[in-house]
Amino acid sequence: MFKQTLLGLAVVVAPALAFAHSKSEATTPADGAAVTEVPELSMRFDDPMRIISVSLTSPDGDVEIERETGMDPATEFRALPLEELEPGSYRFDWRGMASDGHPMQGSFFFTVTE
Amino acid sequence: MTGLAPIDGLVVLAILAKAIGYSAALIAIGGVLFSFIFAKRAEVSVLHLARKLAIGAALVGLAVLAVRFGIRAARISGMGFEGATDPMMLGFAWESPLGNAAIWRGIGEVAILALLIPRFGQWIAMAGTVAVAISFAQVGHALGEPRAALAVLLVLHLLAAAFWVGALIPLRRAALAPAGADLLHYFGNLAAGGVAALILAGTSLAWLLSGSATALFGTAYGLALLVKVAIVTVLLGFAAWNKVRLVPDLRAEKPGAAHALRRSISMEILAVVLILLATATITSVSTPPVNL
Repeated sequence: MFKQTLLGLAVVVAPALAFAHSKSEATTPADGAAVTEVPELSMRFDDPMRIISVSLTSPDGDVEIERETGMDPATEFRALPLEELEPGSYRFDWRGMASDGHPMQGSFFFTVTE
Repeated sequence: MTGLAPIDGLVVLAILAKAIGYSAALIAIGGVLFSFIFAKRAEVSVLHLARKLAIGAALVGLAVLAVRFGIRAARISGMGFEGATDPMMLGFAWESPLGNAAIWRGIGEVAILALLIPRFGQWIAMAGTVAVAISFAQVGHALGEPRAALAVLLVLHLLAAAFWVGALIPLRRAALAPAGADLLHYFGNLAAGGVAALILAGTSLAWLLSGSATALFGTAYGLALLVKVAIVTVLLGFAAWNKVRLVPDLRAEKPGAAHALRRSISMEILAVVLILLATATITSVSTPPVNL
């Protein structure tokens, strides 16, 4: 009952992404972009964001990446793929915490072409 | 929908824990205010109930505070429930504004337990209510700009809400005894001013966080806020009905008046539960439009 009320109240239309508490957000590769190579994965935030967990997934499963940015709050996050990315679609997910204490999460997608 | 975070099981749990934390804080503050303000007008049994509620709520509040750290750690970790006990994740939660808020709220709720000490204990408890109210201004949307205005408005909004919410159960008890009619009448007069402060502060907060009336439509924050306001309107309807109709009936000793009034107060309590759930949802999964 409570759970239904809650979900009703939350006005869940679609699992939209909330980049709350950070006005603009740019990523490399850009969300939805088709690229031929991925030298690095990066995100920029308006306010310092503590990025705690990241993952890169392809249809074949998790892809190993190496973080360059530590766990301290930062306005720019960088990570590098350990191997050249095969052609296909990729999804980058992150979780963390905004400077006001709100737990945050987000994701972006890109395609690697030949 | 703009400004809506993804919702998963942990988020639902976080919202429930937050709503329970809100209830505990409001009942704890409200119980202290009630026993202070109505010390001379309320019957001993009613005052006793208000104090008991405040102490129970303060204890629940302290327990929920600990649970919320675990939930917060799990949410930021990306590990699911395992993250709830991860020392590093708990450390991040502690270093965040939630840590500051927890210190204020924890100290405040412990101070409210001082109601158990005769005489001067109530003064410690009064100081505790202020600390609990201040704790809410240490975290979340209240940290936006203009920060000082948001903090003052939020503390005012909370104290007014607590005065009302904390009085509901004691007043429901007071309606049972004929002598309670005068107390209910007196409360109605005071609450009119309290409700005005509540609405004024709430509207100002919504204005500062939304930035414009158009932002209320089309954003998750705005829609959830409109849902909350709709329930508040229903609550005000019950409160007004009690004030102009049911309490005068009780004073006139009309048959069935006590039963009708107690049922109406129960409906108010239900509305408050829904309002707190809506508020916890708004503050957990949506972004104020000014931040979008």
